[in-house]
Amino acid sequence: MGAPFDFSFIITYLPKLLTTLNTTLLIVICSLLAGIVVGFVVALPRLYQIPVLKTFAEIYISFFRGTPILIQLFLFYYGLPELMKLVHVDMTRTPVLVFVILTYGLHTGAFMSEMIRASVKAVDRGQVEAAYATGMTAYQAFSRIVLPQALAVAVPVFSNLVIALLKDTSLAFTLGVMEMTGKAQTLASLSQHFIETYIALALIYLVISYTIERLLLVAEHRLLRHEAQPSPGTQTFTLLKNGSYRQIIAHMGSSKGGGGL
Amino acid sequence: MKLDPSFIWTAFLQILSAIPTTLYITIVSVLAGFIIGLAVALIRIYRIPVLYPLAVGYVTFIRGTPMLTHLLLIYFGLPMLIDGLAVQFGWSFRSVSIPMIGFAYISFSITAGAYMSEVVRSGLLAVDRGQMEAAHAVGMTTPQALRRIVFPQALAASLPNLSNSVIGMLHGSTLAFTVSVVDINAKAQIVASTNWKFFEAYLAAALIFWALTFLIERATSLLEKRINLYNRGGVL
Repeated sequence: MGAPFDFSFIITYLPKLLTTLNTTLLIVICSLLAGIVVGFVVALPRLYQIPVLKTFAEIYISFFRGTPILIQLFLFYYGLPELMKLVHVDMTRTPVLVFVILTYGLHTGAFMSEMIRASVKAVDRGQVEAAYATGMTAYQAFSRIVLPQALAVAVPVFSNLVIALLKDTSLAFTLGVMEMTGKAQTLASLSQHFIETYIALALIYLVISYTIERLLLVAEHRLLRHEAQPSPGTQTFTLLKNGSYRQIIAHMGSSKGGGGL
Repeated sequence: MKLDPSFIWTAFLQILSAIPTTLYITIVSVLAGFIIGLAVALIRIYRIPVLYPLAVGYVTFIRGTPMLTHLLLIYFGLPMLIDGLAVQFGWSFRSVSIPMIGFAYISFSITAGAYMSEVVRSGLLAVDRGQMEAAHAVGMTTPQALRRIVFPQALAASLPNLSNSVIGMLHGSTLAFTVSVVDINAKAQIVASTNWKFFEAYLAAALIFWALTFLIERATSLLEKRINLYNRGGVL
């Protein structure tokens, strides 16, 4: 199986794989944006308990969280054109990338909506009441008081979601998209140097996800400035406990279902 | 191609036969992953000298790369390693005798191990340090305190994450088709391409996964109620 191990292939294949990095990043960024929009739209009916829409939102989230992304990819790729045929829209010329981005967007949207809901709910209800008491309008209270706090809670979860999305893009090759994994498989089977190619591939993914994690960690620290622990002497026990408790919850509830692909 | 709703049921029945394979992969990888995860988490919590950086590297690498690359690396790398060693030491064992599903088991266990270690670690860290000190104060040894006091509480704290991991591995097992294991996804592909009815077949597969996920979630929430019995809040 394959040619003998040759370290130099890792080095020669790194730049070759990097040429397809922009396809991977394009998928990540487009579906992330779509996911944020979808996430907000889906989170609102659940936050405000709107009767019928709430049920739809719940089914949507349950489906996208309850089925593997790979199955969703195939489902959309094969199913959407047929459904569109029923309303006389021809999708045979639509590029595959559109289906990929649509699927990842809807998939991430489900997780995003959960993230948005959880982080808005993590902000103490008393904060809103206090804001009202000082005479703020509902909009002011949300944008000045709730949003900044919710954002800080959301960042670790968001970071995990972006990394999970990045790793999920490795499945786009199943529909024939030439992103990094697809390129790696082509290079590997051409040269029969499988391991070297996949090591190079893994290294690229590792560097990108590490970078994303670092960047978002910086963002998190910046957003949590208001919770920066003052000198130990002045801090009361309950405050400290509340702060750390919220951080633990944010970190614990953040996994996108262990495998994350 | 024309939509054929009745075929969803036909496909559903055919795909049912592949459920055990998917469940085997999930169960093996979760159990093996839990053992690896426990070891890695304890190494990281107690900062055991040489093993500590190795454990950190392992978790970082696995969590930073897609599950598919782990599978491909194991699938192509392991035979090379085994055959190389076999030639060197004159073993009769060759990599050809490893069944395809073996690669899925090994690779997914390694993947699950890294994620599980984070679950175990966060669970253990969620238990108040004072509990350990109290256990020491009444004369328990560290292994006793871990087993009787810390682990049960850590389990309760990490159950939701554990359930997420199991679901993640269930969904991840769809990748096994890349090493020609016929799990639910691969079976759906076979059914789809032999009948040229892709949408219906994948819809059936999606429904099966949805149901399995739902069952796991139900089971965990029941277990969670049971395991949290001790936790009725403080005296106040």
